[in-house]
Amino acid sequence: MSELQLSDVRKSYGGFEVIKGVDLDIRSGEFVVFVGPSGCGKSTLLRMIAGLEDITSGDLTIDDVLMNDVDPSKRGIAMVFQSYALYPHMTVRENMGFALRFAGVPKAEIEKRVSEAAGILELGPLLDRKPKQLSGGQRQRVAIGRAIVRHPKIFLFDEPLSNLDAELRVHMRIEIARLHKQLAATIIYVTHDQVEAMTLADKIVVMRGGVVEQVGSPLDLYDDPANLFVAGFIGSPKMNFLKGVIEAADGRTYARLPDYGDARIPVNARAAPETRVTIGIRPEHFNDQGSASLDLTIDMLEHLGGETFAYARHGNGELVVIETKNGRGLKAGERIAARFDPACALVFDADGKRLR
Amino acid sequence: MKNGIGRIATATFTYGFLGLMAFLSIFPFIWMVLGASNSSIDIIKGRILPGEAFTANVGKFFTTVNVPLVFWNSAKVAIFATVLTLAVSSLAGYGFEMFRSRHRERVYRAMLLTLMIPFAALMIPLFIMMGKAGLINTHIAVVLPSIGSAFVIFYFRQSTKAFPSELRDAAKVDGLKEWQIFLFIYVPVMRSTYAAAFIIVFMTAWNNYLWPLIVLQSNETKTITLVISSLASAYYPDYGVVMVGTILATLPTLAVFFFMQRQFVQGMLGSVK
Repeated sequence: MSELQLSDVRKSYGGFEVIKGVDLDIRSGEFVVFVGPSGCGKSTLLRMIAGLEDITSGDLTIDDVLMNDVDPSKRGIAMVFQSYALYPHMTVRENMGFALRFAGVPKAEIEKRVSEAAGILELGPLLDRKPKQLSGGQRQRVAIGRAIVRHPKIFLFDEPLSNLDAELRVHMRIEIARLHKQLAATIIYVTHDQVEAMTLADKIVVMRGGVVEQVGSPLDLYDDPANLFVAGFIGSPKMNFLKGVIEAADGRTYARLPDYGDARIPVNARAAPETRVTIGIRPEHFNDQGSASLDLTIDMLEHLGGETFAYARHGNGELVVIETKNGRGLKAGERIAARFDPACALVFDADGKRLR
Repeated sequence: MKNGIGRIATATFTYGFLGLMAFLSIFPFIWMVLGASNSSIDIIKGRILPGEAFTANVGKFFTTVNVPLVFWNSAKVAIFATVLTLAVSSLAGYGFEMFRSRHRERVYRAMLLTLMIPFAALMIPLFIMMGKAGLINTHIAVVLPSIGSAFVIFYFRQSTKAFPSELRDAAKVDGLKEWQIFLFIYVPVMRSTYAAAFIIVFMTAWNNYLWPLIVLQSNETKTITLVISSLASAYYPDYGVVMVGTILATLPTLAVFFFMQRQFVQGMLGSVK
């Protein structure tokens, strides 16, 4: 187990900066997930930690040792790649022991470590097979096994489940969570799948355009996003964003939805009246007990059995997604009053920053 | 839908055409084998049936030509040329694909342009160079100009595009240096590409005629292609003997192809599976 610090880490290709000053502390044993849309720099940052990309400026330390110019194999990390990156001409056993062989580890020790890892990952019967004789899930387990045998300080996972089908992805997700508990390892995991991020992470790092937008526990990010981007990125279906305006009444500040009648959301932060804001309401926060309501017409319905997603539109063209447990009786074209609790709504200023 | 007669006519034409093409491809081999069993006069007369002079022709060939020496010369030249060409060209192809630099594509294009220079234009400067280096009438002079083959470098670079970059990353994390990645990961993974290139380069080197004709001047250094050519251009050429020589000269390339044809096909289709 090990600690990792990034201090003002930057990466440029020519004159183009892709990582724009990242500061991050990762504690020993933490499961940290980097999420963000394609091109946000999450994989580049992981590759910089691995030593596969040079760091243009800033410091990367592992256990207080500066690692900027240290070879990947000497950083005490092991990496699991999206495409597994198993050596196709070697058996599972050879793949898993390859790094140790090059590190000069004695044969008996290699055999012992490979057997241990194979035991943990239930790879025993597959040790003499070549990668092409394995299924996607088995290949992924071998890739993880190859990382485990090195006894690394930090495990790096680069979108490891992206190539698996939906069912296997869920299975492997549980396996990785179990492995984290069993090994008590420090893990840095890159994904664009927010379900993976929410279910696996102790700490999520949300990135956009080479910048860390917010760092926090999954539920902190869900309940208390710092800005519009994080609010929209975390949660599925996405949070609804409606146009609002600040007004002052009874000595208090509110964000009002001018197109939707009386709906008002209390704002504790200072904001000048008539300032334009964005009001965010999660689809799952609509319920019959809410004190505010939106008059909408249902465009389309998605019945998932347990719940229903209603895609409803206001006269001004804004689309609102509503999640409900009692949606079986709804019909497209039907007018509804979608009720929500104003305390659950979030308010963002014109720059997308949260007004708390 | 076509009627029965139309289908039969199409099939007849297709198979007839394919049969003709197959016959045209295989005819030189049949002619070579039949010729080897006939006397020179019968061949000139156009006899295309098996004759009875095969043993006599083989005997004459072995008495006229120092077969072990000629084959040893050919094998030496072909094997050295093939191994060195594959080593140098695959390294170059790997380098061109894996390492980014500002002038990479310009250098690569300039190298490809050399494919447009005919060998006839290079012959005399090369001969002068070899003469100055004191290599005339040596096998090194035959091998050297073939090593840096623009075509084989091009072939390796294109094939390397299919080599997963994540394998290289994984090897770096596993502690391998660049040369170790090339030797222990790239070469085994790309073995089908090597097999296909081996066949192409070996056949070219084995059948090479013009350049060895210029630089190899004594009988002790001559390769099989030169010897067959000199038999065919004698004042009274014995075509039966020439055909025996041709059969023997063809055997190594046929053997190489038969042993490696599966990898050859894989290599031509794309080597990484």
